Amino acid sequence: MAASAVKIVPEMTPAIDPSPATPQPAASVRAISKRFGQTSVLEDITFDVAEGEALVLLGASGSGKTTILRVIAGLEQPYTGKIILHGKDVTELPARERGVGVIFQSYALFPKMTVEKNIGYGLRIRRRPRKEIKKAVNELLSLVQLEEHRKKYPSQLSGGQQQRVAIARTLAYKPEVLLFDEPFGALDAQTRVHLRREIRVLLKKVNVPAIFITHDQEEALELGDRIAVINTGHIEQIGTPEQIYNHPASEYVATFLGAANILDGVFRFDNVEICGALIGAEVDPTRFKDGQPIKLAFRPEDVSLSKTDNLPDGVCRLSHGVVEEISFAGAYERLSVRLDLMPAPAEKSGDTPYYLTTETPENPTAKPIIATRTKPEASKMKLRVRDHVVVGLTSFTVLPVTAAE
Amino acid sequence: MSMIPTMRHVRGFDVVRPLSIGMLMFMMLPLVFLPLLSIFIFGTSKGLASFWSALTASEAVFALKLSMVTSFWATVFNVVFGLFAAYVISRHNFWGRNALIVTISLPTAIPTAVAGFALLLLWGPYGTLGRFLAPHGIQIMFTAGAIILANIFVTFPLAFGVIKPVFDTMSRSLEEASATIGATRWQTFWHVTLPSLRGAIVSGALLTFARAVGEFGSTILVSGNLAGRTQTAPLYIFAKFNEGQIEAANAIAIVLALFSFLIFSVLFFAREWLDVD
Ligand SMILES: Nc1ncnc2c1ncn2[C@@H]1O[C@H](COP(=O)(O)OP(=O)(O)O)[C@@H](O)[C@H]1O
Ligand SMILES: [Mg+2]
Repeated sequence: MAASAVKIVPEMTPAIDPSPATPQPAASVRAISKRFGQTSVLEDITFDVAEGEALVLLGASGSGKTTILRVIAGLEQPYTGKIILHGKDVTELPARERGVGVIFQSYALFPKMTVEKNIGYGLRIRRRPRKEIKKAVNELLSLVQLEEHRKKYPSQLSGGQQQRVAIARTLAYKPEVLLFDEPFGALDAQTRVHLRREIRVLLKKVNVPAIFITHDQEEALELGDRIAVINTGHIEQIGTPEQIYNHPASEYVATFLGAANILDGVFRFDNVEICGALIGAEVDPTRFKDGQPIKLAFRPEDVSLSKTDNLPDGVCRLSHGVVEEISFAGAYERLSVRLDLMPAPAEKSGDTPYYLTTETPENPTAKPIIATRTKPEASKMKLRVRDHVVVGLTSFTVLPVTAAE
Repeated sequence: MSMIPTMRHVRGFDVVRPLSIGMLMFMMLPLVFLPLLSIFIFGTSKGLASFWSALTASEAVFALKLSMVTSFWATVFNVVFGLFAAYVISRHNFWGRNALIVTISLPTAIPTAVAGFALLLLWGPYGTLGRFLAPHGIQIMFTAGAIILANIFVTFPLAFGVIKPVFDTMSRSLEEASATIGATRWQTFWHVTLPSLRGAIVSGALLTFARAVGEFGSTILVSGNLAGRTQTAPLYIFAKFNEGQIEAANAIAIVLALFSFLIFSVLFFAREWLDVD
């Protein structure tokens, strides 16, 4: 009954997005793998970017994001796999024949050329008539709002202005796809937020598909029509920001993108059993075998706390708990609640020992779960440290325990 | 003993500073300043008219011209070669790369007389290669060509040494950006790489030229030192000095001194321009 409203992810391991948005994607990366010497850096990377879409590759530093970008641009040869741009296999083409626009992490503006010269470079080397170049440069200058800086050299511009020059320089030759490598890495926090709005607007205006690279989850959620989470050279999950955030396909994704509480449990009687207690969630029985260890993942904001046994409708009851700590975090209240779940006795072999983790999968020590409440929620029912509460979940995800963990 | 450091700081007066600066100046006086000064004092001691006639003597003019022309071609060769060598060495990693760098840099360490001698042994009429050319009437030694060869040899690593560090520190992403924009390798080199190297090329060329104009040891061996035919300016100074014509030697010495002074002023004061823009 209560569990009917619980959102459960339909497919759990969609490393490949099953349905590209258009019949012919603007860019298509097919089963790319890459090695540097003996070390494998990319494994079986496959994704599509639709016309006008912005895809974000999100991953920790060193996960292989830049390498993916360089393979698409033709600056690096893949070990296996194909790159297809607008239906054309470009895997064997050199960088200069691909028509891909790369905005490098350092912008790579030509230091001895003025802003105008930088922007017109792509057309000059294509030997376009001077009039046409001048017209295109003027249009681009006004598009990126740099008209009054046209005669300046890159070193005389701010980071944000340099970035806009870099974008205009690639737009000049009408690239098939734009590739941004950590475009906001070198900028301060405020400029960053401001610029990513600008770029989003700009991209919608020019309607060029784009692939962004970032290790910043907030940036990924804001910039991407879709996000691909990269973990040590492979795609963990690809989907819309909403899908990735609300239905993470793995513990890695759940913890990399936002905070997540992870509880170890067992799949039993088509339900989730945590420390011998069935929590009343309906789980698709075809996904797991009876007795198979699983993980229960839920966001701090998906925790519902109540002083009475009456949880709101659609909330799945997890356990009793004690409030251990309350802190004020601006827009919301942050509580840590120690659950009344007891570690599984050692003789009950086959069960995973009970532990709790928050945020880091590397830290399996018993920790309270983290819950957040919005201001209205908090003021409706004041809670204090050492209060006993009933803990429920409005939404959660059941994850398989992967071999790697 | 322990008094000395304390004394130095009495009322904040530092004795070491003016003392060391003064000592440096004093040491430079007999080593550099006075010899240079005496060239000018002697050269003009009999009046400007005689200085001018010594300077415009046909052999003197020829020697100066020959020095300039041979140094010019050696400079052109070594700058182009240095650019090419620096490009290959900093852009590719290959077996024997370090050995090649050492080999290119070696000529600076070889005494110039040895360099001239080595060229004679290779190209001279009885040399390793020269003996096969001699029967065909091809004679390289004792010509202006020999002077150029000797100049190339002794100034070989100078331009390379200035250009290579700039290549090494140049960000690869500029060239990669140019490639993704659609430029060919040549376009990238011409529009992106070369402009960043301008300063290094100019200073490398000036250094090479200055060094080549003054070259003596190797030139005297390979040129034959024929007045009016293969006699460069430094050889002219030496020859006139030997003949006791101090004034003739002095006039050319002044020109060469002023010339190198000019080149180093350019290198020093145009540094801003050479580096930045
Ligand atoms: N040219 C290279 N040679 C050897 N290893 C490389 C090279 N480029 C990248 N790598 C390695 O590949 C991995 C992925 O690098 P990269 O794609 O730059 O990661 P990211 O951009 O996600 O930080 C790293 O472990 C890095 O050390
Ligand atoms: Mg990177």
